[in-house]
Order: sequence, then structure tokens, then C-alpha cells
Amino acid sequence: MITKTAWKNVWRNKIRSLVVIASVTVGIFAGVFAVGVMNGAIDQRIDEVIDNEVSHIQITHADFRANNDLACNIKDVSRIEESISGLEGVQAVSDRLFVVGMANTASKSTGVNIIGIDPEKEKEIFGLDKELEPRTGEYFGDPDREELAYIGVDLAKNLNIIRYEINDKVIGELKSAELPVEIISEIEKYSGERFDNERSFKKAMRSVLSDKNESEYGKLIMEKSQTFRERAKFTLTFVDSHNQQTGGVFRVGGLYNIPNSMFESTQVFVQDRILRRLIEFPENTAHQIVIRLKNVDDTRAMTRKLRNDFPGLEVLNWKQIQPDMAMMSDFAGVMYGFFMVIILAALAFGIVNTMLMVVLERIKELGMLTAIGMNKKKVFRMIMTESVFLSLTGGVSGMLVSWIIIKLTSTRGINFGSLQEGFEAMGFSSHIYPEIGVDFFLIVTVLIIITGILSSVYPALKALRLDPAEALRTE
Amino acid sequence: MKTLITLVLILYPLSFIKAQDASEIVKRANDKINGEESSYSEMKMTIIRPEWQRTLELKNWTKGTEYALSLITAPARDKGQSFLKRGSEMWNWNPTISRMIKLPPSMMSQGWMGSDYTNDDILKESSVVEDYTHEITGEDEIEGRLCYRIKMTAREDAPVIWGYQIRWIDKENYLFMKAELYDEDGYLVRTELGKNIKIMDGRLIPSVLELIPEDEEGYKTIVEIEEIKFNISIDDNFFSQQNLKRVR
Amino acid sequence: MKNYKMAWRNLWRNRRRTIITASSVLFAVFFALLMRSLQLGTYDSMYKNIIESYSGYIQVQDEEFWENKIVDNVFEDTEELRGDIIEDTNVEDVIPRFESFALASSGSRSKGVIVMGIDPQKEKLLSDVEDKLVKYRLTDEAISTIKSEDIPDYLVKNMDLFNGNSYSSDGSLQTDLGIKDKDVATLMPLFKKYAGVDNGYFSTGDNEVLVGDRLSQYLELVKGDTLILVGQAYHGHTAAGKYVIAGIVKIPNPDIENKIVYLPVDVCQNLYYANGMLTSMVVHLKDNNDDAIDNTMNRLASSLDSPYRVLGWKEMNETLVQQLDADNKSGIIMIGILYLVIAFGVFGTVLMMTAERRREFGVIIAIGMQKTKMAMVMVYEMLYIGLLGILAGVAIALPSIIYGYHHPIHFPSKFAKMWEDYGFEPVMAFQWIDKYFLSQSIVVAIIVLVAVIYPVVKIRKMKEVNALKA
Repeated sequence: MITKTAWKNVWRNKIRSLVVIASVTVGIFAGVFAVGVMNGAIDQRIDEVIDNEVSHIQITHADFRANNDLACNIKDVSRIEESISGLEGVQAVSDRLFVVGMANTASKSTGVNIIGIDPEKEKEIFGLDKELEPRTGEYFGDPDREELAYIGVDLAKNLNIIRYEINDKVIGELKSAELPVEIISEIEKYSGERFDNERSFKKAMRSVLSDKNESEYGKLIMEKSQTFRERAKFTLTFVDSHNQQTGGVFRVGGLYNIPNSMFESTQVFVQDRILRRLIEFPENTAHQIVIRLKNVDDTRAMTRKLRNDFPGLEVLNWKQIQPDMAMMSDFAGVMYGFFMVIILAALAFGIVNTMLMVVLERIKELGMLTAIGMNKKKVFRMIMTESVFLSLTGGVSGMLVSWIIIKLTSTRGINFGSLQEGFEAMGFSSHIYPEIGVDFFLIVTVLIIITGILSSVYPALKALRLDPAEALRTE
Repeated sequence: MKTLITLVLILYPLSFIKAQDASEIVKRANDKINGEESSYSEMKMTIIRPEWQRTLELKNWTKGTEYALSLITAPARDKGQSFLKRGSEMWNWNPTISRMIKLPPSMMSQGWMGSDYTNDDILKESSVVEDYTHEITGEDEIEGRLCYRIKMTAREDAPVIWGYQIRWIDKENYLFMKAELYDEDGYLVRTELGKNIKIMDGRLIPSVLELIPEDEEGYKTIVEIEEIKFNISIDDNFFSQQNLKRVR
Repeated sequence: MKNYKMAWRNLWRNRRRTIITASSVLFAVFFALLMRSLQLGTYDSMYKNIIESYSGYIQVQDEEFWENKIVDNVFEDTEELRGDIIEDTNVEDVIPRFESFALASSGSRSKGVIVMGIDPQKEKLLSDVEDKLVKYRLTDEAISTIKSEDIPDYLVKNMDLFNGNSYSSDGSLQTDLGIKDKDVATLMPLFKKYAGVDNGYFSTGDNEVLVGDRLSQYLELVKGDTLILVGQAYHGHTAAGKYVIAGIVKIPNPDIENKIVYLPVDVCQNLYYANGMLTSMVVHLKDNNDDAIDNTMNRLASSLDSPYRVLGWKEMNETLVQQLDADNKSGIIMIGILYLVIAFGVFGTVLMMTAERRREFGVIIAIGMQKTKMAMVMVYEMLYIGLLGILAGVAIALPSIIYGYHHPIHFPSKFAKMWEDYGFEPVMAFQWIDKYFLSQSIVVAIIVLVAVIYPVVKIRKMKEVNALKA
């Protein structure tokens, strides 16, 4: 009975109620959508780390992670892999060799991690093959060509495999990119020149461009002037299982490009069998067993199960291997909560204001109701219910709108082009696919109801304190 | 001999024959340096940089291409340090701290003792004869000597980081007079020069070697051989860690 | 009567409506200020943490060093140089550093390491290495000994989970193992006894080093053992030295912890044959805010010539700057959304107000007041309300922010631990009063002014006859 009355009361002043409902709708929509975007961005980042760098779970020898010692390896790998792949929830399993060494070209050398993989099996677990930088070759084309390696763009730059050259083609491209004419003529001075590495290229650029121009166009010029020789040669040197120095000549099969530049400048992928031969490792031995699950939510449970199954080995999931990812996703959860609470608080004041007006307007009517004996508690409840209706109506429509829009954009994504650099620096893509879980909607609904209830307290109390006699006398 | 080769080159311009000759020429020149069974030498190494310069004095013992031991005899600061190479492994004895350390490859990426000699040079993993194909591309005069200009292109699967080398080999005595080392893209990375050709221990060799890296201005390393004895009698166990500490 | 006077009277004729409308503006300002303060404060403290614990805000180096960090690119640490820097009004002190690389060897094992020569006292202002000495280590032995004592069950399980971990503070040990407050007094002495690590800092000033925890474990060394460092010194000499391990430290960044060795700066200079030289000098400032830093940098850059180079934290922490920027932009977007919500609230209130007063307007215009004058009065009314709301909002925000500044929000312990592990202070801090106060207030003022448009338009289009019927 109170519910019906409350609902009717809400619609007595259409304009006012609509205004409040509209503002709640907008507020909830904006909040939920923003959370959807942030959530999507973070999920994407986490997916990228899992898909390209870490996968869901890794198993290593108990002492392996401390110093990547060759001797800390896992024996009997195929039996272990077989038992894991049979588990419910596991999508794919593979193993890898991991050797710390040096990569050398004629002019540079740097420390790297050399990872021996089975290129085909890896594709089931990792997506690095899809991160191939266009026009730099391919991901392990011909399996018979054992010397092919898959390295990161940043490593190629560090080893002077990527070089810089200014020629007519480059000038042409810069012209069509609408680089200012004066700058092009300055750069043309270097036409025909080749630069061994980034440092000498930058030096040359700085000598003809003003600081301001260099910071604005420098990156574009560098991008267009990059040259890369396919199948470039480099050597890898490392220590084998007998502590002897060994190594071999490899060629760059393709370059991969991912946001994580630490990873990109150190991880070199080669075929398992050539590495195994060079370090003189027996078959069925490996350093890492990598596991991809069907659903990321199974991670915790599966980690526990595998820990039980393989007590002598170290089983870690992506949150433990990359705790900063875990931190980000946990922290984000807190931030969303905070954000919604602040929005709801802002909305609450609007609702309080409205309810206050409602109460004060209906002084006479409320006074009459109390005079004829309506329970004060019922009056209180009625006002509270009105308030909850207002907020729920607005809230539900807001959530509906945001759900629709998120559904629409989640497949096509939103392009935050102008914020691209900032996003990419944080490791996020600038093309985001918003995403929201059902549990978030539930939490928001609960929060909305709470907001409605809390906002009505003050006005309802005011209503209760009315002296019926006085009220009846009011105009 | 010289006339015969010239005739052959003029009358039979077949690349096949040229290549064979080129390889032979390189082999002969290489045998002069690395063909000895063992050696003892005393040398001075001067490292030149734009801001400073330093000269080391060393004694070296080598046996084949597998074993080598070097002892630094001057200046005072570095005196007593010794290095041992066995196959692809390197050890270092440092009297200041009385310790023997096995050197990982990463330690030598900066150049041995601050010089322009890299890990690659010292471990001498590759062979100019085996790992390259050779072609005579002409003649030049270096230090007053007429030399073959030979282009050496690295073989596909050879363990060398160079793309190709151009070496000038003295026609008369098969001495490596000059070398230019290039990477695959054709960037010159290093130049090596042989100078002061002298007779030492009965052989004609360049007594001065200059190493000039291309990517830094004003960098150079000069090695001067003061004394050298070839084919000395020396045991394998001279090249041991214990001896590293004891050698004088 | 003058418009503004009438407007003022109008406001107070209907006090509650005025208060209600003004309060929606008040809360808008209050929330905006609070949220912005929290955002700015949190970013600030996070980034300040990173900058202050390593690079500092300004550094002086040899002009070649930044591009090519080799030991040959050191500069001379002269009285004159120090004097030139310290005499600047904003400079508190200079902190010397000597950084290079070496091979560290324990006899059985060796590894390439980063060597950092620091001033044992002054470095506390930066990376405070002394604070990071390891206090506890949960070795197998320690765990089994403690288990044999009378301890709560939850502890048994937790210790196994964290087997092998080291801790540099009581707090982080307690958090990881979930030691309840009531058990602290009984359990901590056990840990001190069985899991405690004998540790120390630089004391004699002679050949002492501090070693990263993971590095010490790899090299199988503890306090008191000998460590050898070999590398390339200044001008190509060989750097070689024997050192005693004075202490073991735990660094937030595990990638660095497994390859770092600290030396007193003069000992380090000796090792690299570079006495009296440094790789960098961190300038410790009195005032850290952006403008002060920029001004100080400009002054120093003009007074210090070649071969010195003055670098600012932005140059030295490029990735960080980009992250800051991205964070800031996303923060602005969040505030933007808040404003959207607020704007609707204000518009809504104004809408209701206008609707309610239709009759009133009708009457006034019917008895002869010009519409324009009426509209003007409305404008003034809104302006007053806006002003009242803003001033009141600021008035409430001020003490709240001041309180928040001195009492930052602490993270719950699980989060806190993770932040601390990364070297961050686990708090959400509030930013002190700054430019943002003005800019946020202006935005709200604009919202109010835009809101005025509706009633003004409504008035102009009003047909008095209809209004009277309301």
C-alpha cells in the first residue's frame, strides 16, 4: 500500500521527478561507462601480458627463477606435460629452454635471454606470432632453417640491426606526411647518408633542426628513416651444460613489437632443437613449462592444484610472476568503487534536495495524514520509498543505457587516438574495448538503493518533526 | 712465381681459378701467422683515445690456436695480471686481490684491458680461410708494397659476425698488410693495418699492428712486437691455472 | 529598485529554495575539489617516491655521460663546483654518486653487477639504503625451528607460503604472515631469534660493501664474507678489489636486487682509479614544487658550463613522465564525468525552481515589469547563488583537505604490502591548496552561468496569461 502510494507520489510532479531521474541516469551511465572503459583497458593490458609474455601458469625448477641457472631444469617433461594437458580447464601446454647469454653483431653486443621453443606449439599458448612487425620477415617460416630467430624491435635497434637512412623514398614519405617544407629541405642535406645507429642519427638531426622542431617531428622522421635488412646476421654466445662457452650464428627471421620494451629488448626466440644441441641438453628436459587455461578465472584454482600435483617444482601464475599486473587490477577495482561512490554521493545531494522540496511542499498534506492517524513510521517509510524509486528508476535506466553502449562498443572498440602516446606509455593500447561484468552491475544497483535510502533520511526526519496542527494551518 | 701468377690471372680470367688462387693466397698469408706451433713474444700495446693514452707491456705464450697465456709486465698498476685462454674459456689472475676469476663473455664486450680487441679477436673462433669465400678484386700499394686486394665474403653458416672483409696481402711475402672489416649492410666497422715489416726470428712479419674502430672518433689500438720466438718448446700444462699465478 | 538589490531580496524571500539550490552548487564544488586533491596528491606521492628514491630532481653530470654511461665520462668533484651549486638559494645540499659495472665474484660463482658508490650519510635523503637492510629471512631452518615452538595454526600455514622470503621491516613480515595484533608481542621475539639476520651498515669506511639480497644468495655470501669486484676502470685500467660484506639489503625492484652492490663513494672511486671524480651529483632542493625546480634548473644550467651538464627529473625519467601525463589525463576525464553529473544536478535544480516560480513570474510581468528586467534579476539571483555555493563549498573543502593532507588515507594491509614492495608509500594523499582550487571553482561558475540560460529563455518566451493560470 505504501509502495503504491509512494510510486504515485513520485509522478505527481512530473517535471521535478523526471529531472532527478534524468540526472541519476546520466550520472550512472557516465560512471558505469567510464568504469567499462578503464576495465576494458586494464583487461586488455592483462590479456596482452598473458598472451605475449607470461601465459597463465608457469612451472619451473624450484631454484630456477633466482638466477636462471642452466642446471636448474625440469626432468621428464613429457610425462608432466601429458598429465597437465589432460586436466579440465587446460587449453594448451608446452615447454621451453631458457639460456642467458650475449647477442653480438659486428658493432654491438648486449645481454639477452635465449628461449628455445617449439614454434608451432607456442602458437597455441602465446600470441607473439601475431605481434610481427610488418615488413620484417616472418615468425619462423621454414622449420628446416634452424638459424632463424625471432627478436624484438628494440633489441634490433640496440644491436644496430635497425639502421637509419635518408633517401628519396624517405623524403617522399615525409612529404606526404605533410612535414613542413623548411624541415624537409634541412633533412635533404643528409640525403644519401646512412646512419649506423640511433645515437648518430639523432646527433645529425639535432645539428640541423631546432630543439622545438626536433621534439615535434623527430620521432616521425626517425620512423620513416628506419631501414632493416631481412635475415640480418648476429651471433649468440652462452655457456652450455658443461660450463663451456659456446654459441652460434643466427639470422633474424622476423621482429616482434609489443608495448613492453624490457621484454622486447631481451627475449630472443630460437628453435628448441638448435638450442638444445648447442647446450648439450638431453631430450625431455626443459626450464619452463608454460600453461594456457581456457578461462583466466580458473587461474587460482589451477595453480593450487598443480602445486599439489608437483610439490618439488615451483608453480607460479601470472599474478605472481608479474605482481605489478595483479596490483593494477586489484587497485583498479578499488578505484572503480571509489569513483562510483563519489558519483553516487554527488547524485545523492540532488536527491536530498528534491526530497526536501517534496516534503516541504507537502507539509499540509503530511500534516493531514499524521492528524488522521497515519503512523509516523509509515510516513517515514513512504518518503524513503519515494526516494528509492527515484534513484532506482534513474539508476536502472542509466545502467540500461550504459549496458547497451558498452555492448555496442565492446566489439568494435573505441579509438582514443589523441591520447595515444599517453596510453601506450603506460602499456595500454589506445584502441579500447569496454567491458563490464555482471557483478559490477549488481554492486551498482545495491549502491543506488543505499543512496536512495540514505538521501531520504534527512527529509524524512524533517517530515516526522512536523507538528500536525501547525502544518494544517500553513498555506 | 709472381710472374706466373700474373700470367695466370691475365690469361685465364675464370672466376673458378681466381677463387682458388685467392683462397690459396689467403691460406698462405694465414699460415704465416697462425701456422706456427707455438710462440713466445714480448709486445707493447698502446691504447689511444681522444682524451688519453695508455701503454701496456706484455709477454705472450701461445700454442696452436687453442692455448694462450699473457702476462702484463708494465705499467706498475697493472703489472702481474695474467690471462689464460684454453679453447673458448678465459681466466684472469689479479695479484692485487690475489684471486683467479673465470671471465664470462659479457666481461669482454668492452674490449680487452680497455683496448679495441674484442672477445671475438681473442678467442679467435673463426678462420679467415675456412669461413670465407675469396675473390681477388685488384691490386693496391700499401706501405710501398704491392698487394692483392682480396674480398672475403663470409659463408652462410660460418660463425663470423662480419659480412665481408677486404684484405690486402703482400704479393711477394704474403703478409696481411691491411684489412677492412664490414658488416652485411656494407658498413665499415674496423680497419687493421700491418706496419714496420721486419725480420724477427728469421721471418718477415709486420712488427706493428694498428686496430682502428670506425664508430668512434680518435680510437686506436697499436700493438708493437718487440721480440718474438717461433716454435718454442712448451708443454700443454704450461697453460694451466696454477701456472697463471706463477708465471713471470 | 536596482536589479541586484531586488535579486538579493528575492533570494531571501524564499530561504529554503535558495539554500537548496546553493547547496547543490556547494556540493559540486566540494566534491570536485576533494576528488582533484586526492588525485593530484596520490599521483604526486607515487611519482615523488620514485623520483626521490633514485634520480632526484636535478643532477649534475659530465656532458657526455647521459648518452654514454661509461666510466670514462666522469667529472671532477671540485670545491668550486660544489660551491657554485650550493650557493643557489634553493639548494640544500649535493649528494655524490659513482655508478658503474663490474664482475662480482665469491670464488665459486661470479656475476655481472651494478656498482653504486654512495655517501653513506647523505644517501639517506635519496634511496635510504640503510632503511632497507634485511632484518628477517624465512629459511627452511628458521621455519622448522619456529614451528617446533608453540605457535598458532595460521602461522604454520603462512610460513610455508612465504618460505625463502626476506623482510626489511617488522611490518612487512607481520603483514605477509598475517600475524594478528594480539600475537605480535609473543611471536616477534621468536622471529628475531630464529629468523633474524645479522646485518649492518657502512661503519669503518674501509673496504666495505652492501649487497642485494638475491645477489648475496646467488653468490652464497653473508655478512662478513669477502666479495671480489673486477671491472674496467678509468682510462682502461683494470679495476679490482676485495671487500668485506657489511650488510645485505632488500631493494623494491627485484631485477636490480639480484645485481647490486653498494660501496662508500670514496672506496668506489679508488676501485675505478677515479679519485675525486663522480658519475653524477644529485642536487638536493629546499623547495620541491614544479616551478621551484624549473627555476633552479635554469639558474644552474646558466652558471655551470661545459664540461658539466644539468639534467632535470623529466629528462631522466622519460617513461615516468609519460605515465604521469596519462594518469593525469585519465584523472581529468574522471573529473569531467563528475562535472557532468554535477551539471545535471545544478540544471535540474534550476529547472525545478523555474517551474515552481512560473506563477510568480507571470504575476510580476502582468503588473508591468519588463521581461528583460525580470531576466536580469534572475541572472543576478543565479550569480549570487553560484557565488554563495562556491564560497561555501570552498569553505568546507578547505578544512577537509587540510585534514586529509595531514592524515592521508592508508591502504588496507594487503595492498599496502604490495605498494611497499614496490617502494611506494601505501597511502592516498591529498594535494595541498593550489591552482586547482581556482580552476575547479571557475568550472563550477561556468556551469551555473550556463544553467541561467534556461530560466532566462523561459521568461522571455513566457505568455503571462498562461503563467497566471499555473
